[in-house]
Amino acid sequence: MTDWEPKIVAFLCNWCSYGGADLAGVSRMQYPANIRVIRVPCSGRVNPKFILAAFRHGADGVWVSGCHPGDCHYIEGNLYARRKFTLLNNLLEHTGIEPGRLHFSWISSAEATKFAETAKQVVDAVKKAGPAQHFIKKQAEVA
Amino acid sequence: MSETYVSKEKLPGIVEQLMGTHRVFGPILKGQYHQFALLEESADLDLAFRNTRLSPKALFHPHSERMFEFTLEKGNPDAGILKEVPKDYRSRIVLGIRPCDAYAFKLDDRNFITDQFKDPWWVQRRESTTLVGLACNDPCSTCFCTSAGSGPFDTSSLDVLLVDLGEGYLLQAVTHKGEQLMGDLAGGESVPEHCTEQAAALKQSAEAQLGIQFNLDPVKQKSMVELFDAPFWEDVQFSCINCGTCTFLCPTCWCFDIQDEVYQSRGERIRIWDSCMFPLFTLHGAGHNPRDQKLKRVRQRFMHKLKYYPDKYADGIACVGCGRCVQHCPVNIDIRQVARLMAESCVCPV
Amino acid sequence: MRAYTEKIREAAKRLLSEDRVDVVIGFRKGTVALMNEPFLVKSLDQVDRLYWDGNCGINLANYLPKRPDRVAIVAKGCDSRNIVVHLLENQIKREQLYILGAPCHGMIDRRRILAALDGKEPLQVEEANGTIKLIGRDFEETLERSSCLQDNCAICIHRNPVVYDELLGDLVAEQENVDRYSDVRRVEAMSSEQRWQYFDDLIAPCIRCYACRNACPLCYCPTCFVDESRPQWVGKSIDRTDTRTFHFLRAYHVAGRCTDCGACERACPVGIKVRRFTKKLEKDIKELYGYEVGLSTDERPPLDTYRPGDPEPFFK
Repeated sequence: MTDWEPKIVAFLCNWCSYGGADLAGVSRMQYPANIRVIRVPCSGRVNPKFILAAFRHGADGVWVSGCHPGDCHYIEGNLYARRKFTLLNNLLEHTGIEPGRLHFSWISSAEATKFAETAKQVVDAVKKAGPAQHFIKKQAEVA
Repeated sequence: MSETYVSKEKLPGIVEQLMGTHRVFGPILKGQYHQFALLEESADLDLAFRNTRLSPKALFHPHSERMFEFTLEKGNPDAGILKEVPKDYRSRIVLGIRPCDAYAFKLDDRNFITDQFKDPWWVQRRESTTLVGLACNDPCSTCFCTSAGSGPFDTSSLDVLLVDLGEGYLLQAVTHKGEQLMGDLAGGESVPEHCTEQAAALKQSAEAQLGIQFNLDPVKQKSMVELFDAPFWEDVQFSCINCGTCTFLCPTCWCFDIQDEVYQSRGERIRIWDSCMFPLFTLHGAGHNPRDQKLKRVRQRFMHKLKYYPDKYADGIACVGCGRCVQHCPVNIDIRQVARLMAESCVCPV
Repeated sequence: MRAYTEKIREAAKRLLSEDRVDVVIGFRKGTVALMNEPFLVKSLDQVDRLYWDGNCGINLANYLPKRPDRVAIVAKGCDSRNIVVHLLENQIKREQLYILGAPCHGMIDRRRILAALDGKEPLQVEEANGTIKLIGRDFEETLERSSCLQDNCAICIHRNPVVYDELLGDLVAEQENVDRYSDVRRVEAMSSEQRWQYFDDLIAPCIRCYACRNACPLCYCPTCFVDESRPQWVGKSIDRTDTRTFHFLRAYHVAGRCTDCGACERACPVGIKVRRFTKKLEKDIKELYGYEVGLSTDERPPLDTYRPGDPEPFFK
């Protein structure tokens, strides 16, 4: 398993975290290449179904990142998202998903350093959790 | 046809004999209720059951079944070609099935085995299975097999009938297949005196206990359209929550959906129980839904069982009276009540 | 609680004849022991079929969304809280409703009784003085009523309706010092692996009939996510992963809306304790946001609002 690299789906809000990723890129900052970015209008747009869909399709980790509280382009989208994902994360862990698979962060479009650092943290945490075991469907387990 | 007697102490031995030559399925208490499952040990068999929560139809028509698999790999010459998923069709025995549930298979055959089309999975499973039924000495209050064309001792769809006589079982062969199975058995005794009479008495008392709970003769005469438009459907449908409990527990509900599931570069074609209670059941690709209201869906289920089917095949209703839907409908919609309403709404010629 | 029957009939008669409402939603006596059927009364001649006893566990609020007419409805504590949720979610207007509040002593768990009787079948049931007498063909047995309640009723702390226009009886004493979350804590003490297995075992018997979803007053979406096909979020077979996805998302979808009325568990034909999922959400919402569902129409549901200082323990 030494050459195993996790696949991580990152839902980044268009106005902050995606900009942060962009800046990290143009600034030539290094961060692990395990992240597959999906740009969303707002972290509040991310439906819990998206997160489960990512896991079902084989993601080892999911990362959702939006603007800092108070800085949402839509004023309060990330504040709703915060409640939504707190409950989601708790329920996922309660039902047996290992801690370290699901990550949330607030990263502004100026925080390229924070983006690169958080990406490293996320990848490290998912690597520690190992390849995903749950929610992946490789074949219907039926008659 | 031949008869044998097996005392209760000897039954496990007999079951083990059968397990040596067949895969034996029987009622097993799993958690809160009985269900038909493959016997690993003869001791798992529990014939002191009233009936299983789920009907044994899943033994022939599983809830979800992989029919075909395919690959989508580029360059693979088999890409996109459906290949049948291999199944286990070795001979098997379903032991302890209730006569009503066995009779249900005969009704289901209408759907799966026609002159034009034969469902290969259903047919092969039917052919490889011997049905050893257990007569109902003590039917439930929700049972109404005698009103639905079957009965507690109905042998019409069994190969062998077992009758519990207290100390032991009377085995009666019904078909050639059953005769053969019994012929191969060692350990049966000759039938003690009075056993046949005792079985007949049990049959009579069970039938008397059930009585005839409704009479659908007037429905036969009634025009379909008039019943379709009858006002009582409004009242029947109100409490329905449109879940699939009745259809999924029913031994005669055979409808299924077919889905293709793809996992990256491979996939499979699966069939899955479907229910006429679900709006999706009739939703057209174009967005139109001919049964878009709860009333239409509820009406469909009862009309299909009690009117369309009897009209089409002239061989009784598409219900065997097992009473599962009556017992487990979360809102207590009772098909017996609906049958009475359908019959009463008819003005019969005197 | 049988005394309610008379009160309900009297109120239904009065409301219909005074043209205060168009219909009355209550129960009629079931055709099998320990079951009653939700019943819609449209005219005075049907009123005498209305009925009430300890087997009215189905949540009648389920029949309200999008009704255009004026409705009188019998509501236990949990039903009334679900009515509050409907009002908050604009599924019905308060002006349309005339709520007959039914202070509740807890509803009877039919399956528990049938299991206790071990195969014997009750044909007649009599409730009196905190006991339930079950009479079958050749037996008679008396059980303590308090030992036969639905799981959710045994730990209910809102037995009195929270919103009503008239009461069918005196308010009952609410249960106190109830430990609502012992089962949640039991799971919380497990490792991730054990938890996954625990829930896998829990939902293993599922046949995807959706009775839990459909019995729930909160599940009124025109198209449920399980029925969506573009994209298809979840497969339809009884594959473990699909069944898990369904139960997980169903539970999550009622977060901050579930009143723990128990209709889902009551409806499940294979006896899955689906509340084990929703109880965790209820506990979190109470602990994190101090919210209890369905107690007031003035407060927005917890996922429809926020506070700037909401806890964010694991946000980077």
